[in-house]
Amino acid sequence: MKPARFAYTAPDTVEGTLDALDRFGDEAKVLSGGQSLVPMMNFRLARPEVIVDIGRVGGLDGMSAANGTLTVGARVIHARLEAPAVIKPDGRSESLGGVLGSLLPAVARYVGHLPIRVRGTFGGSIAHADPAAEWCILARTLDAEMVALRRGGERAIPAADFFETVFTTALAPEELLVAVRLPILGDDWRAGFCEFSRRAGDFAVVAAMTAVRLEPATGAIAEARVGVGGVAGVPVRLGGAEATLVGETPGAELHAAAAEMAAGEVDPVGDLHGSAAYRRDLVRAMVARALAQGAGASG
Amino acid sequence: MSWVGRSIRRVEDPTLLCGAGMFVGDIGGAAAVRFVRSPVASGLIRAVRGPAYTIADLDADGVGNIEAVLHRPDYVRLAQPLLARERVRYVGEPVAVVVGATAAEAEDLAEQVELDIETLPAAVGLEAALAPGAPLVHPDEAESNVMLAGEMATPELAEALERAHTIVELEITSGRQAALPLEARGSHAVTERFGGRTTLHASIQAPHMIRTVICDLLGMPEADLRVVAPDVGGAFGQKLPLAREDAIVVWLSRRLGRPVAWIEDRSENLMASWHSREQRYRLRAGFNAEAHLEALQADVAANVGAWPCYPITWGVEPLMALAELPGPYTLEHYGVRSRGVASHTCPMSPYRGVSRPVITLALERLMDIAAARLGVDPVEIRRRNLQSDFPHISPTGLRHDEGTYREAMELAVSHVDLRAFRARQHAARAAGGPQPGIGICTFSERTGYGTPAFAARAMGVTPGFENVELSMDPSGYVTLRIGASPHGQGLETALSQITADELGTDPSRVRVVASDTDRTPYGWGSFASRAMVLAGGATYLAAQKLATQLGSLAAEVLEAAADDIVLADGRATVVGTSVGIEIAELARIAHHHTQRLPAGAMPGLAAQAGYDPAGTFSNACHVAEVEVDPDTGGVSMRRFVVVEDAGRLINPMIADGQIRGGVAQGIANALLEEVVYDDDGNILTTSLMDYLPPTVAEIPDIEILHLETASDATITGAKGLGEGGTIGAPAAVLNAVNDALAHLGVELNEMPATPERVRAAVRAAAGRSPAGENDRSTQEAPVR
Ligand SMILES: Cc1cc2nc3c(=O)[nH]c(=O)nc-3n(C[C@H](O)[C@H](O)[C@H](O)COP(=O)(O)OP(=O)(O)OC[C@H]3O[C@@H](n4cnc5c(N)ncnc54)[C@H](O)[C@@H]3O)c2cc1C
Repeated sequence: MKPARFAYTAPDTVEGTLDALDRFGDEAKVLSGGQSLVPMMNFRLARPEVIVDIGRVGGLDGMSAANGTLTVGARVIHARLEAPAVIKPDGRSESLGGVLGSLLPAVARYVGHLPIRVRGTFGGSIAHADPAAEWCILARTLDAEMVALRRGGERAIPAADFFETVFTTALAPEELLVAVRLPILGDDWRAGFCEFSRRAGDFAVVAAMTAVRLEPATGAIAEARVGVGGVAGVPVRLGGAEATLVGETPGAELHAAAAEMAAGEVDPVGDLHGSAAYRRDLVRAMVARALAQGAGASG
Repeated sequence: MSWVGRSIRRVEDPTLLCGAGMFVGDIGGAAAVRFVRSPVASGLIRAVRGPAYTIADLDADGVGNIEAVLHRPDYVRLAQPLLARERVRYVGEPVAVVVGATAAEAEDLAEQVELDIETLPAAVGLEAALAPGAPLVHPDEAESNVMLAGEMATPELAEALERAHTIVELEITSGRQAALPLEARGSHAVTERFGGRTTLHASIQAPHMIRTVICDLLGMPEADLRVVAPDVGGAFGQKLPLAREDAIVVWLSRRLGRPVAWIEDRSENLMASWHSREQRYRLRAGFNAEAHLEALQADVAANVGAWPCYPITWGVEPLMALAELPGPYTLEHYGVRSRGVASHTCPMSPYRGVSRPVITLALERLMDIAAARLGVDPVEIRRRNLQSDFPHISPTGLRHDEGTYREAMELAVSHVDLRAFRARQHAARAAGGPQPGIGICTFSERTGYGTPAFAARAMGVTPGFENVELSMDPSGYVTLRIGASPHGQGLETALSQITADELGTDPSRVRVVASDTDRTPYGWGSFASRAMVLAGGATYLAAQKLATQLGSLAAEVLEAAADDIVLADGRATVVGTSVGIEIAELARIAHHHTQRLPAGAMPGLAAQAGYDPAGTFSNACHVAEVEVDPDTGGVSMRRFVVVEDAGRLINPMIADGQIRGGVAQGIANALLEEVVYDDDGNILTTSLMDYLPPTVAEIPDIEILHLETASDATITGAKGLGEGGTIGAPAAVLNAVNDALAHLGVELNEMPATPERVRAAVRAAAGRSPAGENDRSTQEAPVR
C-alpha cells in the first residue's frame, strides 16, 4: 500500500498551477485535501506521474454571496460548510442564512468523519465525482456551475454536463476547478436531504436531496428538484418524481407518490453494498424522507 | 488489604497511550519483504518469472512442509508448502516473495513478477464445495472437499425426537468474518553475522510454539532462534497459528544475511491472513409440552478454506461446534454431524469465540422460535431449560462447574425493565416507523482449559500448561517471567496484583516479562480465554513458594517461628507484634549475606511453578435493545446489558474492558462485518470501505453487572472471560432484530443481519402475508 513513484510540485499561485497542468497534461493530478487521491495512489489505482499540490495556492478558499449565488472556493474544507459563513464586501464575515444556509450544514455532517472534513475540500469532492458524494448530489440537484480555469481561459460548466461517469468529469487535464456556484435558494424554497449509509461517516449507499419552490399564494409546488446518488455512475435527477410534485400541494400522500415514482425511474446497478432492488427501496425511503424533512422545515 | 479485586490502573497503558509502544513495524532497519499472491482462486502454476524467490528456492534449501495433524480416522492429512507448489488454492495465496530496499520498492518489484497460472474452476461457498462433482481443493489427497467429519449421538435420540410434543426446525448461517486486529501481522528477522543466531520479532500470540515450528521447518536448533512478540496490536486468534510469511522471513534473513521485515498491509490482512466462522447449522429440536428441550439433532458444516492452520488444524471450528452445541441447557438427547469443508478460499483460524458465537446464535434463535411456537415467554423458556444443578455433565461429556445461568438472566432482565420496554414497543408498533426490539442471550463460555481438554482434540501437538518463574532481586523488586504472551489484555497488571498479595508487596514493585523465548519459560501463549486462569494460577503458586522462602528467612532473622511471619505492606512481621523487617532488606540478605540464610536454603529468592487445570465454564446473559427501520433494513443499537459471571475478578476494570471489546466485535459480527467472495473466488472485501468494522457511533454504551460465583475449578477462583462478549452479542442482537419485526412476521437467521438482508426479510414476510407489498422477485430466502 505504497504509491508508485511520482514527481511532486507545489506552486504558490493559480498561474503557476495552470502552467504545471498545461505542461504535464494528463500525466498530472491535482492534489487538494488528498482524502480521495492519496488512498487511490496507495492502492495504486491512481498512478499520476506528477502531483500538483494546490495546498499553497492562495485565493481558492473563499466563500462569497452575490446576486443570489453562493460561490464556494475549491479549497474550502468540508468542515467550513458545517457552519457556512461568507465574507461581506466590508470584509466582515457573516453566517450564511436562508434555505441554503441550513441545507449545507445538514449535508456537511454526512461527509466522512471529522479528520476527513478538516482536510478534504469541497472542490476536491466535486472533481473526484464519486456518484454517492454528498456535494456532487447537491451540485446536481441545485444545478450548480463549476468554474474551471486553464491557461488563457475560464469556463463555467453546468452540473448536468459536468459529471460524466464514475470518477470522471468534463474537466480537461489542463483545467483547474477553482470554484462552484450554488443558487442561494429563496425563502419560498423547501429543501431536504436524507441518506442511508452502513456506518457513520461512510459514503451513502443511497442519498436523496429534494428542493421545491412553493407558489406563495396557493402553497402548491411551482418547481421541484429531486436528486439521488448511489444509483448510477453519476448523481441523477429524477424527472418523473419532479413532475409528480409540480402543481401539487406538499403532503404525505404526494411525497409517497413522488417517492414511488422515484423508485421506479432509477435503474441502479447492484454491488456489494446493495442490490439493485434494495437500492430502489432505499430511493423510495430517502426521497420520501427528504421531502418530509423539507415540508417540516416549512412549519 | 488485598490487591486482587481492585480496579488498579493498567501498567500497560502509559506506554501505549503515549504512543511509545514498540510494534514490529517500529523496529526498522530492515529490507522490505513482499509476497506475490495468487490473483485466482484455483489454478495450476505454469511459471513464475521475475526477481522473486519461489518454492523451488525453499525446496533447494531443504525447507520442510507444515503438517497440522489431528489423530482422527476421518481427518485428511496434508503437507503444506510455505509457498504455493504447482497449484494455487485461494486468492491471496503466497506464490513468490521479493525483497526491496523499501516497502514501495518491494511493491514495485512484486509488480514485475509475472505469474503464469492456468485458471481452474473453483469451489467457493459451502454449498458449492459440498455439491457432487465440485472442484476439489486437494484432488491428490482427498476424494471430496470434506476434510473431516465428526459424528456422535446419544443412544435414545431418535425415540426422544419421536415422542416430542413440538419439533422446531431451523437453519442458521454465519457469514465469513475476519478478526481484523488494528495492527496487521508482521515479522522482522535479524541473523547475527557471527554465530548465526536469528532473532525474530513477530506480531504473534504464542512465541514459544512459533519458535518450535519454524525451527522444525527450517531444520535448525531452537536454541539458535529467539522469538519475541513485542507490543502486539490485537490478535483475537488471527495471530495464533503459524504464518507462512513469518517462517519465510526467518529463512530470508538467514539466507541473505541481512535484516528483513514483512509488514502486512490491510488488504493482505483482509485477503490472505485468516478468516473465520463461515458456518451453517441445521437444527431439529424436540420440545415437550412444558417447553423443555428434550432432544436436539444438528448438522453442522463449516467452510474451512484451502488449508488447515498450524497447530490447531481446521478441526477447530467444526469440532468445537460438535462438542459444545448443547450450551448452557439441560439437554439430554443429542446427535450431531459436523463437517469441515475445504474450499478455494482463505484458510480459517480461531477468532475470539471460535464457533461459539454461531453455536450460541443457533441455540438462542432456537429458544426464541420455540418460545413463540409454544406460547411461552422467551425468559420463561430459558428459565425452564437452563442448567441449575452442578456439576452438570453435558451429552458430550463436558463438565460444567458451578455457574449462575438462571441468576444472570433474571438479573439482566430486571435490570433492563422488560415490562417498560414492552410498553414502549407496543406504542411504536401502533405508530409505525422505526421499531424497537429486545433480545436475550444466555450462554456458557468454556475457558481456562489445560492439557486434558486439548488432548481430547488429538492434535499433533497438545497445548496446555503454563509455567512461570518468579524471582526477587536484591532491591526487593519482583520479576515474573511467564510463558503466556499477553498483548493488550492487561495480564501484566492482573498478575502483579496476584503476586503482590502473596508477597505482601505493592504491584508497582512487580515487573512481568513475557513474549520473549530468551527470557521466559516455555509456555503456550495467550488464547482461548486461558491466560488469567493458567498463568494466573501458576503465578499464584510460584508466589506462594517465594512467600514461604521469605517467611523462613524472616523467621531466621527475627528469631521467630516461620508460621508466625506475616508478609504485608512491604514488611515481614511477627504476627501480633511490631517486630518486623522490610522485605527489601530480606532481599538484600538473601543475595548479599547468604551466611544468614537458614541452613540448606538456596541463595537468592526464586521460585517456579506450573499450572494445568481441567477447565471451567464462565457464564453470562446479554440483552440487546435495537431499533429497526423496516423501510431501509437499518438496525441501530440502543442499549446493551451484560451480566457476567467469571468467578473471582482479579481486576474488575480489566474484566469490563475485555467484555466491552468483545461485545463490540460481536455487534459488528451481528450487523456489519462480512468477508464476501464472488462465485469465482475473487474476494470483494479487501479494504475497510468494504469490510465494515464498527465505528464508535455504532456501538452503544455497554452496561456491565457481575456475579462472582466461587468455583473450585481453578486455583485462583478466576474463570476466563476473554471471548464471552463476542460469543453472546450476535445472538442477543439477532434476537432483538427478530423481536422488533415479529409483528410483521419476519424471521431472520443469518448473520450479519445487514440492512439488505433485514429489508429482504421484511419484504419476504410481507409477500407471505395476504396484504403483501411489492414484488417478490428480488427476495432472498434466508429463512426456513
Ligand atoms: C474514510 C473516508 C470517508 C469518506 N467519506 C466520505 C463521504 O461520506 N462523502 C464524501 O463525499 N466523501 C467522503 N470521503 C472523501 C472525501 O470527502 C474527500 O475529501 C473528497 O472526496 C476529495 O476531496 P479532497 O480535497 O480530499 O481531494 P483530493 O483527494 O486531493 O482529490 C480528489 C480528486 O480530485 C482532483 N482535484 C482535487 N481538487 C481539484 C481541483 N481544484 N481541480 C481539479 N481537480 C481537482 C484530484 O486530482 C483527484 O483526482 C471520505 C474519505 C475517506 C478517507
